Amino acid sequence: MFNIAVNDAGVIVLAGRFDAAQTDRAREVFGAVTESAIVDMSRLEYISSAGLGILLATQQRLTKTGKKLKLVHMSKMIRDVFRIARFDLIFEIE
Amino acid sequence: MRQQFPKDMRSLEDVFDFLTRFTEAEGVDSEAAFAIALAVEEFFTNMVKYSRGGNGGVAIDAMREGGRVTVRLEEHTPAPFDVTRPTKTQFDIPVPDRRPGGLGIHLAKGLLDDLRYEYTDGTSCITLIKQLEK
Repeated sequence: MFNIAVNDAGVIVLAGRFDAAQTDRAREVFGAVTESAIVDMSRLEYISSAGLGILLATQQRLTKTGKKLKLVHMSKMIRDVFRIARFDLIFEIE
Repeated sequence: MRQQFPKDMRSLEDVFDFLTRFTEAEGVDSEAAFAIALAVEEFFTNMVKYSRGGNGGVAIDAMREGGRVTVRLEEHTPAPFDVTRPTKTQFDIPVPDRRPGGLGIHLAKGLLDDLRYEYTDGTSCITLIKQLEK
C-alpha cells in the first residue's frame, strides 16, 4: 500500500511502499511541483529505484530554476538506500 | 517456499506478499527483509521490462538455512543477461546529468551479501544471498 498527499502546509507526505507499481500517482504529484518543497518520509516504509528515479527527475527539473526538494524524517533503511545510490549527494536530507 | 508469477508488473504485489509470508514465517529481521524485497523487486521488474521473448513467468524460490537467506529467480529466456557484471551507473557527476539507469542492480548489490548468475539450457537463474544479523 502506497500513499502520497500534499498537506495544508505544502509538505509532500509519502507513506507505505513506494515501488515500481506505484509510479503513476507519484509522477502525477511530483510533476506538479514547481517550487522548493519538503518531502516527509516519516511514514515511508520502503523505496526502490523506481521511486528514486521520480525523486531524481523532480530534483533535476527544480534545480534548473534554483529550487529543490528537501527530504525529512527518513528511516535508517531508506537512508541506507540513499547512501548506496549516492543520492545523499543530490538531496538535502534532514 | 516456491511460487510462479506471471511476467507482468501487475504481479509485483503478489511477489511482495510471497516475500512477506516467507520472511515472517522464517523470522527474518526487518532490515534483511527490506534488502531481500528491494533486490527481488529490481530483478523481477528487469525481467518484465527487458523480457526478450521468453515463455512463461518467473519462479521465485526462497529458503533460510541457519543465518542465511537464499532467493532464486528463474525465467526461460532466449538470451542471457549476467546481472553480476559491473553496472554503468555514474555517480560522481552533477545533478542535472545523473541518470537512473543501472541503479536498481547497483542498489541490490549494495544491500546483498552475494549475487550469482547462471544461464543453462535457456533458463536464467539469479541467486540472491543475504546473511542475517546474529
